Amino acid sequence: MDVRSQISMVFHLDKCIGCHTCSIACKNVWTDRKGTEYMWWNNVETKPGTGYPTKWEDQEEYRGGWEKKDGKLRLKSTGRGRIVPNIFHNPSLPSMDDYYEPWTYKYDELFNAPEGDDQPTARPISKVTGEYMDIEAGPNWDDDLGGSPVYAENDPNLDALTPQEREQMFSIERLVFFYFPRICNHCLNPACVASCPSGALYKRGEDGIVLIDQKVCRAWRSCVAACPYKKTYFNWQTGKSEKCILCFPRLETGQAPACFHSCVGRIRYLGVLLYDAERIEEVANKPPEEMIDAQRDMILDPRDPEVIRGARENGLHDSVIEAAQKSPVYKYVKDWGIALPPHIEFGTLPMLFYVPPLLPVMAKRDGDNVESVSDDLFHGFEQARAPLDYLSSLLGGGNTGKLVYALRKQMAVRMHRRLKTVGDVDAEVVERMLREADTTPEEADAIYDLTALCTFEDRFVIPPAHREEAIEMMKDPQEHRQSAGFGFVSGPERGL
Amino acid sequence: MRDLGSLRRRRLLHFFIVAAFVTGAASTAEAIDPAKDFKQNCSSCHTIGGGRITGPDLKDVTKRKDRAWLKKFIVDPGGVIDSGDAYALKILEEARNVRMPNVAGMSNERAESILNLIEAESKLEKSQFAGIQISNRPFSQADVDHGRRLFTGEARLKNGGTSCISCHAVGGLGALGGGKLGPDLTKVFERYENRRKLGTWLSAPATETMLPTFRDHPMEAEEILPLVAYFKSAAQTYEEDTAPRGLVFLLLGIGGAVGAVLLLNRFWRRRFRGVRRSLVEASALPEEPVAPSQS
Repeated sequence: MDVRSQISMVFHLDKCIGCHTCSIACKNVWTDRKGTEYMWWNNVETKPGTGYPTKWEDQEEYRGGWEKKDGKLRLKSTGRGRIVPNIFHNPSLPSMDDYYEPWTYKYDELFNAPEGDDQPTARPISKVTGEYMDIEAGPNWDDDLGGSPVYAENDPNLDALTPQEREQMFSIERLVFFYFPRICNHCLNPACVASCPSGALYKRGEDGIVLIDQKVCRAWRSCVAACPYKKTYFNWQTGKSEKCILCFPRLETGQAPACFHSCVGRIRYLGVLLYDAERIEEVANKPPEEMIDAQRDMILDPRDPEVIRGARENGLHDSVIEAAQKSPVYKYVKDWGIALPPHIEFGTLPMLFYVPPLLPVMAKRDGDNVESVSDDLFHGFEQARAPLDYLSSLLGGGNTGKLVYALRKQMAVRMHRRLKTVGDVDAEVVERMLREADTTPEEADAIYDLTALCTFEDRFVIPPAHREEAIEMMKDPQEHRQSAGFGFVSGPERGL
Repeated sequence: MRDLGSLRRRRLLHFFIVAAFVTGAASTAEAIDPAKDFKQNCSSCHTIGGGRITGPDLKDVTKRKDRAWLKKFIVDPGGVIDSGDAYALKILEEARNVRMPNVAGMSNERAESILNLIEAESKLEKSQFAGIQISNRPFSQADVDHGRRLFTGEARLKNGGTSCISCHAVGGLGALGGGKLGPDLTKVFERYENRRKLGTWLSAPATETMLPTFRDHPMEAEEILPLVAYFKSAAQTYEEDTAPRGLVFLLLGIGGAVGAVLLLNRFWRRRFRGVRRSLVEASALPEEPVAPSQS
């Protein structure tokens, strides 16, 4: 057992209101420099939709992530044989058009327009070329299903549905969407790190954050092609690639990352997970249906004395182990089993988990009447508008069972709370529901507390960074001891 | 103590750096060896006691003309000729109007030491600058073949000089011809009239491009002879190629490039071609014609 720590995340999709505050917080802090205008280290997508960059989930096009060949894992984008002939022109790179061309407006023309009969306008200009341009796309161009016939209907996850289901999904009465905020997953088996010919990317030993060393990066852009989530970006101004750094300067001073901190819906949770690094390859090699369970198995119980001993042997500080025991992510992923990794079939073992959205039918139209379905407000999730197959293609690795489990448990929590606060449901029915959802009233209350009443301290359990210890891995802090200064003219004397 | 030691070492280092600069500066001010100077800058057109080549034989030149005039002429031959000096015009005519070029960096001191050298060499029975001694035997076919090999670089020049083909073309070299930087050498033998003039010129080429190339890698007499033989045979056999060879190159280049692009396109047919635009284009299919309404 090789116990390591990883700062992991949970996004609760049922709480996300799609306000993009996280994206703006991130943009203002990190990517408002020249060359980074088009990057959104944090972005919020509408699902169904093609996202940003367009259709990033389609690995037949982008060739990101891992594939299994002869029982061995290899990168889809580059391998030892492919990297040399392709090194000067990586064939799998998205162009700026697949992201979008960033723009601003020429406000000058607005403010300094001469008096005339027509309303002055500020024409859009490209932030790349500075020329006038026609805006054709943006980072959330298909927000709230805008442009559905172009974008939403080409969502790669819809491939999991039958034609009838597809048609139903886009019929007006059943029209459904939810938001899907994305940052770097800080994966356990990161394809970006594996692909870099310069060795510029690395996974930080102490907390598992994946970073790009800006001094070592040589602009090969292999990471851009290799990351199946398309979360590394090329800065065309500096000629280096950049990615989400999980605001590590904030984490090291005990603050939550900017996107977490600013989240209006409080959907984001952050905490430490302990995992067994010896099993990464084994887990990544499993068939997609088994991967979710295998990844959960790999995450270790921080209260297990054996795990604690292993962690101490690996030099993890007691405060990190303590933080892991309090981790909200551990609760969602392991204790309750309601948070799922996105597209685990890509093989990178993402460490950002999503609680799937319930999306119940709140009202239906019958002829000219719109009826509220109040008599059966928390009806079976099978009638929920987002088809299970769609959600499981996104979050379940094609495994509907995991998704049913997570949704059923959430539903049971809601019914349990309704019984407690409103009292208009049958106690026996609720009891049966809790039993069927593999949960207890106590657990349901705990889920409710952490979902609905969570404070900063509940959501973000950030371990002390112990930079003073991390630095010892690189440098001996006593290197210059007794080798600087002028010494004493006469030795110091102690006592009387 | 360690700090003091390193300070001392640093001072020593400073001393060496300064010393290196001082000696370096001194070496640049050092006078140029006149013999070397003559060999590099004069001997391609002049001999001392070897007879006229392009320029006159300089044996006893200091007796023919006074030193002050000679110095002036060496430093700035162009200026003296342009000033209409009678003697200068006379020797210009003798040299069939080939003007003596100004030598870069020539100074009164250098001219003085060159004149001293000429005076000293003139007194000798046989000067080292009597010109290259190329045998007068008739050229054989073997000479011509060897010359061709030297020209094309199949045989290396002994002192490491660059093969002629790098910059020059000659008739009969084949489809790709030779270099285009220097002039076509097909008729060079006719331009230099005889083996002695061409040979002497080759012994110390004095053009701006060839001088630095061959200064440290001079050709030997036994290499010059076959080269001259080759040039002579070329001048007799071929005419200078005046056809615009560039057009063939251009067409060949365009054809090759198009072919390469097509080949690569085939090879990389599964490459990533961008996603968003194709989605937008696919969705913008023309609408089906609306059936005329029956009213």
